[in-house]
Amino acid sequence: MATPATHDVIPENLKNLPQGPVTEPDFLHVTRGFKSWAFTLDHKRIGMMYLFGILFSLLLGGTFALLLRTELWAPGKTIVGPDTYNQFFTLHGSVMVFLVIIPGIPAALGNIIMPIQLGAPDVAFPRLNLSSFYLWISGATLLILTIPFGGLDTGWTLYTPYSLETHSAVMVATLGVFLLGFSSIFTGLNFLVTIHKFRPQGMGWFQLPLNIWALYGTAVMQVLATPVLGITVLLLTVERFGHIGIFDPAMGGDPVLFQHFFWFYSHPAVYIMIIPGMGVISELISTYARKPIFGYRFVAYSSLSLALLSFLVWGHHMFVSGQSRLANMVFSALTFTVGIPSAIKVFNWVATLYKGDIRLKTGMLYALSFLLLFTIGGLTGLFLGILSVDVHLHDTYFVVAHFHYVMMGSTLVAFLGALHHWWPKFTGKMYNETLGRWCAIGVFVGFNTTFLPQFVMGARGMPRRYWDYDPQYQTFHQISTIGAFILGISLLITVCYLVASFWTGEKAPRNPWGGSTLEWQAPTPPTLYNFETPPVLHEIYNYDDLVEVSPDRWERIIPTDADGAVVPPKAHH
Amino acid sequence: MSGDDHGHGHGDQSRFIKHHYDDAQHQFDSGKFGIWLFLAQEVLFFSALFVAYVLYRVHHPEIFSYAHKWLDVKMGAINTSVLIFSSLTAAWAVRAAQLKQPRLLIVCLATTIVCACAFLGVKYLEYSHKIHEHILFGRYFDPCVSPGGEELLTKNNECSGAKSTISWDPGTGKASEGCFDADKHDTDIKLFGIQADCQVFEQEPYKAPVLRGSATHDCTKTREVFASVEGSGGTYTFTGDCDTLIIKGDKNQVTIESVKHLTVDGAGNQVTVTKVDDAKASAVPADPKVKVDPKHPAPYVAASTITFAGPPVEGKYPPKLGPTAGEVKPDQGEKWRDKVEIKNQCPDELLMKLNAHQSESGASKEAEAAPKYPCWRPAYQPNVCPDQTTPEQHAHGAATKSQFGVLVEYNDKVERGDDVKIRAECKEAPAPKPLDAMATANKPAETDNQGIHPIHIASEHEEQEIESLGPPPEHTSMFLTIYFLMTGLHGLHVFVGILVFIWLLVRAVKGHFTPDYFGPVDFAALYWHIVDLIWIFLFPLLYLIH
Repeated sequence: MATPATHDVIPENLKNLPQGPVTEPDFLHVTRGFKSWAFTLDHKRIGMMYLFGILFSLLLGGTFALLLRTELWAPGKTIVGPDTYNQFFTLHGSVMVFLVIIPGIPAALGNIIMPIQLGAPDVAFPRLNLSSFYLWISGATLLILTIPFGGLDTGWTLYTPYSLETHSAVMVATLGVFLLGFSSIFTGLNFLVTIHKFRPQGMGWFQLPLNIWALYGTAVMQVLATPVLGITVLLLTVERFGHIGIFDPAMGGDPVLFQHFFWFYSHPAVYIMIIPGMGVISELISTYARKPIFGYRFVAYSSLSLALLSFLVWGHHMFVSGQSRLANMVFSALTFTVGIPSAIKVFNWVATLYKGDIRLKTGMLYALSFLLLFTIGGLTGLFLGILSVDVHLHDTYFVVAHFHYVMMGSTLVAFLGALHHWWPKFTGKMYNETLGRWCAIGVFVGFNTTFLPQFVMGARGMPRRYWDYDPQYQTFHQISTIGAFILGISLLITVCYLVASFWTGEKAPRNPWGGSTLEWQAPTPPTLYNFETPPVLHEIYNYDDLVEVSPDRWERIIPTDADGAVVPPKAHH
Repeated sequence: MSGDDHGHGHGDQSRFIKHHYDDAQHQFDSGKFGIWLFLAQEVLFFSALFVAYVLYRVHHPEIFSYAHKWLDVKMGAINTSVLIFSSLTAAWAVRAAQLKQPRLLIVCLATTIVCACAFLGVKYLEYSHKIHEHILFGRYFDPCVSPGGEELLTKNNECSGAKSTISWDPGTGKASEGCFDADKHDTDIKLFGIQADCQVFEQEPYKAPVLRGSATHDCTKTREVFASVEGSGGTYTFTGDCDTLIIKGDKNQVTIESVKHLTVDGAGNQVTVTKVDDAKASAVPADPKVKVDPKHPAPYVAASTITFAGPPVEGKYPPKLGPTAGEVKPDQGEKWRDKVEIKNQCPDELLMKLNAHQSESGASKEAEAAPKYPCWRPAYQPNVCPDQTTPEQHAHGAATKSQFGVLVEYNDKVERGDDVKIRAECKEAPAPKPLDAMATANKPAETDNQGIHPIHIASEHEEQEIESLGPPPEHTSMFLTIYFLMTGLHGLHVFVGILVFIWLLVRAVKGHFTPDYFGPVDFAALYWHIVDLIWIFLFPLLYLIH
């Protein structure tokens, strides 16, 4: 464990240039009171408000997950009836997708970390950032308000024509999703401008941390795909409210058009969910393996190419929705191309690990989990991309398991890894590393116990979203339910020890993990404008001059030239 | 935010340069990039509607070619030029801000706002006309007129001139009011005129007069066919042909020239009917309260005397008595009577219009010879009633669905409220033709064969013209759905633009904008250009389809 480290105890030979004692108050303490948070323009505070909203939503969505897994313990009614069950899986899906996974890494952690990684004082448009947050809060409130307003039983996909007929609170949900969409668009827009215009001098595109590349790709998709979701749910709202007929076949409308619109957003949305996770994993693996990332440019380009390809594959959700055969074949072929950039990333991460000085911190455990789970999730995606196989597996638990491996096993695990990696930076407190490692293992074990049996079940024909099932599936369902509880308990403990660290955690040093990106030069926690003095640019992912002076405390040695003279750092500001 | 004052100031730069930017240029560049991204987002936001437009237009070209004629190209053109001009003033405003010309800046911004308001004003005119005529989307699509100005039937009878529907019910063999064939109608002009053989009347309501004291009432003159006498001890005279009379009071002297239905409910009345030639009076209600005059074997009201003064016609006595007082309550409500018979001449009238449209001179004679309105004809009413065609009729192919529907359509431009009803007396629906007979009938037959009136074989151009005169094709509401979605969303953007430009105007009056700091004007102008650009796409796509 880390020994109490103060900033003035620095070995003489490692005296560090810009890392003297911090004189300004940190962003958590610079102002006080409710208003100072509610009206803050500070990206870190906004990010933290997002973070706690997201953790709350995670608990809510997780509760629904556990409830529906409990219901599936035995065939027939276990705790609730079929209508309530429909609401459980709908709310689980909607909350997890719209409130947790999509904003999880970009809006919460990205908001906190991205400007610091860039060496910028804030995002480009702080007021827009705050309004994004309030849009998110309003959308989240509406989404949760569906519960008292009659529930929501359409599935998170809100497919027509059922969503036009059901008596549940579809309009409340669509309005909520509309607001959440614009929250996402404005965040993406903000990030794009920030990354373009706030890079310090000397930080070219290929000196950017890969996390920022990933956030960049994500932001492109947020700005270009989310508006289509916006107009789609708007149309759905107007259709329900005004009976305009655009999705209603009785009036000449086309319900499949809704599916096209929906997946034109929601397929890129899958990459809005996963690409930030990939960026985080690049950071974690490089840092904890003490090696520069293998094939930096390829990892960077693969983020962008995933972002672009994601716009071309939405039809693979609709192989059995009555698309033309030609469209099916084209979409199927395009789907396979997604495997290329994904595989590039995985191979590069593995190559980075090779002969690395691997440190199994909590963050690294999550990163390794990600590698395994994402590989499984990605490969099973290829199964589903094959037309003939998809007809068999469509709408079965195989699909459920596949996308949980990607969305939860990959994105949420990356989110947890990122949370542990940067938690000391923005809270200034170290969490309990032992608990962290155990919980990381618990999440990994629980997750696989939950979803591996679902692959088997699905391949044997268990349809998704069913309340009842044949007894032959019961063993699988029970294993799955046990796994879900292991997962749930691990996550609950994680949230508890993280929150507890505010009071019990040790004070975190500037650089507990030996990260090489700029945020580790900022004070811990950062000051209001992130840096007291302009950060010094070093070669990206070069760990050679970083030395662990005491456990969990790294310092950068003074760079010297061949004669031993100190090389003056380049300030960017 | 002013509260965020940060250590490093920006020297003599505008006070609106935020602390986290390096300088004014940095802030401007960031804003510009941001607004371009926002506009990209806007394009994607609208894109779904354009995709829907393309999809539905490819699948249903006929509804686009039919319904776009409802849009007024003049209005659209005015709006297009107004928007283009406002784009110019918006761009000019940017230049004025850059060149430090505050007065010009204010003028340009104000002009932009005025133009935007003018745009919305024209939109208001277009929308309110469509709302009034029920040319609306989805379920509310219930147009009063076709794009060719032809009056149409509406579901709710809400429009002036267009009235109720009559259908022939093959089940009961009777005409019924309200519904006819639902989902399909025949847009083929050649089949116009297939109908059940009906006599159709417009009915009008009237309130039965209630007479007290002594009165003389002329049934013929007022065309009132229903009256009641409630006074007691008076003397009443009814002249002309009365339809229904009810005498409720006691001890009255009533002289009636002629009556179809007579009810005497009071006691001690002396009723004299002078002209007893009612051919329709045949049934005698077995009412125990009515006592029969010795001369005439019919029941009479107790203590009342009814005298038939005129010469009896063999087999026609007595006049039908009743309905009984319990059945008819004239003082409680309305009664309907036939007002005018509606001739079945509409198919010719349609053709007449077409001819008049094609050649003004040649058609004038025919137009003069055109039948007087109102008239009725088979027509189409969207999505109201179930299909009444039987499978056998389908199998024979003769029973086109419009056979069972007649649209009663007025063209006399008289505003009618809800107080108009249609009554039809129909003969049998045309019998389905056997298949071989159909084969011969399919040749251009000129004869009136079993209710089929092939009136005209139209050329392609004529069909297009007639199309816009006739009833709308199926799912025409989809065009209006798309029209209202696109222009509505665009109008919303114009409205937001007005708010933004008002905000800019206020700031310009305060003198906030300098060559150092004019970003907001520039960004708003860019937004305004994209709003303009979207309209430039919408105008031809919606208004100028050919």
